[in-house]
Amino acid sequence: MRALLRLLGIGLALLLAQAMARLALPAVLQPDLVLVYALALGLRGGGVQGLVLAFGAGYVEDVLCGGPPGLFALLCGTACATTRLLDRALYLRAAAPWAGYVGAYALANFALFGAAQRMFAPDSAVPWGELLRRAPGAAITSALCAAPLLHLFRRLLVEADRDAWPVLATQSPRGRP
Amino acid sequence: MSELLRRFRFALCYLALAALCALGMASRHGPAELGFAPKLVLDLTLPLERMVTLPISELRGVWDDYAALVGVRVENERLRDRLARAEEENHQYREAILSSERFQKLSGFRAQREVPMVPANVIHQDLSPWFQSLIIDQGAAAGIRPGMPVITDSGVVGLIAGTTPGASKVLLVVDPQSRIDAYVERTRARGTVRGTSGHDCDFDYVLRQENIEEGDLLLTSGLGTTYPKGLVVGRVASVDRKTSGLFLGAKVVPAVDFSRLEEVFVILEQRQIPGEDAFSAADEGLWPAPPGGAVAPAPAKTAKADPAAKPAAKPASKPLPKLVKPPPQPAPDRNQDPPE
Repeated sequence: MRALLRLLGIGLALLLAQAMARLALPAVLQPDLVLVYALALGLRGGGVQGLVLAFGAGYVEDVLCGGPPGLFALLCGTACATTRLLDRALYLRAAAPWAGYVGAYALANFALFGAAQRMFAPDSAVPWGELLRRAPGAAITSALCAAPLLHLFRRLLVEADRDAWPVLATQSPRGRP
Repeated sequence: MSELLRRFRFALCYLALAALCALGMASRHGPAELGFAPKLVLDLTLPLERMVTLPISELRGVWDDYAALVGVRVENERLRDRLARAEEENHQYREAILSSERFQKLSGFRAQREVPMVPANVIHQDLSPWFQSLIIDQGAAAGIRPGMPVITDSGVVGLIAGTTPGASKVLLVVDPQSRIDAYVERTRARGTVRGTSGHDCDFDYVLRQENIEEGDLLLTSGLGTTYPKGLVVGRVASVDRKTSGLFLGAKVVPAVDFSRLEEVFVILEQRQIPGEDAFSAADEGLWPAPPGGAVAPAPAKTAKADPAAKPAAKPASKPLPKLVKPPPQPAPDRNQDPPE
């Protein structure tokens, strides 16, 4: 339970850091820290509770933003699920591949964001040109912010998974993955 | 079965939550009261966020006040020059306004009314760079309702998108979801100001033959249910006549600097569009009443026409039976006193 609370605390801290970055950095360099959080929750050990936390983080961002409700929740949940699929294949256990993965996914997330907007709120969709203009800088800063957080997330996710309710845990009671 | 569920629980959970999100997005229909969960999230996160972002705002203030003043002397000279010209222009405008007021009193259609407003402080800026909203510290308890316009002394800020008892979310003019019907003050050319999620807006649906120029002032037209007429929206920054089609393209710089917004006013008045049965063509006097005389024409309804509107171009060959139009007003002449 303590590990889960720590994960929640880190999520809140990243949310606040994103609010500070919004004030301090130009728009093309603002990292998407909530996305980094959602991606990290899909790492091995995150399990279903990681997915729920990722959707929750996206929902909080939805409430604090002016977008259609559910947009960021869907994007964060998808990010978490994608990491879960690719974790082993990409060997996301060292900072360098993890940062590369976060940068690449942040770019893909811009495309998903544009597509989701056109699907659910076409009147207010941000033009593709604007998305392309902002994507590279945001992807680089997101990757840079993600690298130092990897080991912290890995440790907390394993602890949280060990303490989780059986229905949410990825490990059996005997510790088999 | 339970083994199957256990095996695919991650995928099932993802699909269920994703479906919920999609439903949430698809069921959105304009401004509305916020539900319990968003209210809870706002109440929990806003105080923390304010605590964290306040020092940064203060630091930015220090930077803007002291460090970023390089070159201020040259700018000062330039501004003094502009001020002198503006004062001269201002003097002329004041004269014109005085003349105009006298004419309005004489013709009896000056509609002066006090609009109830609530002042509010900005306590949160949008987290995402894609949307442009902010949260203010006054909510439903102060009488604020979704859809009410938000302004400052500089011009239009946006409209209330959602409320809690103690806070309200404001959708800014520059948000891509924002649309304002506006006209150019100089030529009365009409169009729609649309947010772009950047620092400027597009001025859409302006006919190609309209005369608009860089620097033209845009005002709200008063059409629709949100904004009253005559609020400053912004200035035309550039005009692009190379676009294909019926309309030209124009960029608008909003009158309000949203990055430095601290206090705003919410206009506590929601305009209503009358229902279809509220008036009929016969009420308006556009057609003669039926021989039975069932519907009496509304007396002098159109006499409340806006004084700033252009006079009718030319009367029809056969005058409309009940339409009461104010006579075309002569252009105010400062050298000539109004008739007693």
